[in-house]
Amino acid sequence: MYWLEKNQLEQLVKKLAKDYRIFGPRRDEVSGEVIFDWLENLSDLDLQASIPYNPPKFILFPHFEEILKYRYDHRSKKAVIERINLLEPKALVGIRACDLTGLLCLDRFFLGQEFVDEVYLEHRKKLFIISNTCVRPFPQCFCVCTDSGPGAKEGYDLDLTFTGEGYIVNCGSKKGQKLAEELGLKEAGPEASELRQKIIDDSISSFDRFALENKAWISRATNRLTTGFIKPEVWEYIGNQCFECGACSFVCPTCSCFNIEDVNSKTGDTYRVRTWDSCSFEGYTKMAGDHNPRKPVEDRRNKRFFCKLSYSQSKKYLRPGCVGCGRCARVCPGDIGLPNVVTYIRREITEG
Amino acid sequence: MERPLVPIVTVPEIATVVEIREEIDEVKTFYFTFDNPEIEQAFRIRSGQFIMCTVFGAGEFAVSLPFSPENDRKHISVRRVGKVTAALHQLEPGDKIGIRGPFGNGFPFEEIKGKNVIYVAGGIGLIPLRSSIVHVLQHRKDFGRVVLVYGARTSKDLMYKNSIKEWKATENFETHFTIDRPEPGWTGEVGFVNQLVARLDLPVENTVAFVCGPPVMFNSVIKELKLKGIKEQDIYSTLERHMKCGIGKCQHCAIGRTLVCVDGPVYTYKQIKTLGEQI
Repeated sequence: MYWLEKNQLEQLVKKLAKDYRIFGPRRDEVSGEVIFDWLENLSDLDLQASIPYNPPKFILFPHFEEILKYRYDHRSKKAVIERINLLEPKALVGIRACDLTGLLCLDRFFLGQEFVDEVYLEHRKKLFIISNTCVRPFPQCFCVCTDSGPGAKEGYDLDLTFTGEGYIVNCGSKKGQKLAEELGLKEAGPEASELRQKIIDDSISSFDRFALENKAWISRATNRLTTGFIKPEVWEYIGNQCFECGACSFVCPTCSCFNIEDVNSKTGDTYRVRTWDSCSFEGYTKMAGDHNPRKPVEDRRNKRFFCKLSYSQSKKYLRPGCVGCGRCARVCPGDIGLPNVVTYIRREITEG
Repeated sequence: MERPLVPIVTVPEIATVVEIREEIDEVKTFYFTFDNPEIEQAFRIRSGQFIMCTVFGAGEFAVSLPFSPENDRKHISVRRVGKVTAALHQLEPGDKIGIRGPFGNGFPFEEIKGKNVIYVAGGIGLIPLRSSIVHVLQHRKDFGRVVLVYGARTSKDLMYKNSIKEWKATENFETHFTIDRPEPGWTGEVGFVNQLVARLDLPVENTVAFVCGPPVMFNSVIKELKLKGIKEQDIYSTLERHMKCGIGKCQHCAIGRTLVCVDGPVYTYKQIKTLGEQI
């Protein structure tokens, strides 16, 4: 463990910026929102800001990404396919524990299972991660219920905890250790570890009561979702509130469904583009010929929450798919963010 | 023995369409060879698997493989149904396509040696079954009774007329064909496939059944097979879904807790029943 003085932070980021493109939380001047974004101007980095409204998943899994380029000449019948590889090393500075947990879920999903997703792997290989202990939870936050915060446990190169005067630095990898040494950071004793724990405990106590109460109910909901014992009426009730806007999927740190389209450009090249998709859209499962096996909206909602909480899906992530960031509750124009869905399931359990 | 299967995962391999055959209305068969001789040599499939086929400039679609893993010309049979398949139907011999795969689990083969095999197909449901039929016939002595029950709306809608002719003349292969309504000159059966299945003397013990066709046909055939005493875990089918990646990442083909592209597309009826979604 090391100490990082407040004024050393700039030095750290500048040093990183020599080798990496820096991403981090900054406050958007127009909207006033905190967003996790590319920091064109390194001094925009704001580690004391509240949780960003978007998770950093777009850095590894962009909204739109050209994965292939090809050209086909119908006359000469010649096809040329090129792989697109313009990936640069990227550093995530100040990622929250919830978002880091989400990123680890994506790792296990994209890099594990039967096949490795080569596109994701390219992004992931050249990544430097600096996590930041969350001391300012949103009212919607419930990472304490999903074991994903407020302090990071794994997956970082460096982990920062703000003490008010400076940062406690934890190294999580050789890469991180090397950077700390190169910066000549002052070593910290066991008191730093205790202090970090105290800061985390204080943060937990500042969570909204609903989050602390919800803890046991999430595992009950997991059980119900996995065994399929939730009544169709509950899904209908949830489905009736769904606007099918897909916002929950887009702000979710672990949602990773994508669509692939071949887009023809004016130059004659075609780009194979992979874009974010959401299981809330009706066209998501629609096949050629218009047959749609999953038509009613409640079927689609059922699928999303199955993905976030069921035990079967947890086996892919090695943890629940929900990381408790609360963003779905924040953006949902209906009232079916994940905590509320847990509440509806809970109501069914208690009221029968 | 068979080479290990190394699927083409991300970048499609270019292949040439060498021959195109009109099968039935709106369905064409495209024979292809890979441009890279190494891939042409190394490309191995299991029956029941599928590939992702790129039509340059239009997109990519998932399609089941009708050819046998051994000694059979590589081809796909595709009905013109959406934007990409319409573009495929525009192609001429010599045109290029892109291939990724093969993906998916495939029909059991080694596991069912020594058993009786019943194939029941409706319409273009014969396409994915053809691979397994040809493969089993190539190893005929390893299996018990082998039966094909195939039905289509009219005699014109029967797929693979050349193969059918061959199969009718194959010894130890019981074939039954049916069309929905009587037609002049038709010597086969008349009626729906499930009715024919009900009438036939089919093996039951030590038997597996492969069923493929439209959902209505599928459900009614399953009912008849079960009435005869064939167990749900011995009835296999192959499912189709909207697919984008083929490698279990895009999640479009999720049914219940499984992904059709990696856990399927072949499921037993016992599994299908527990998936909790319509087929």
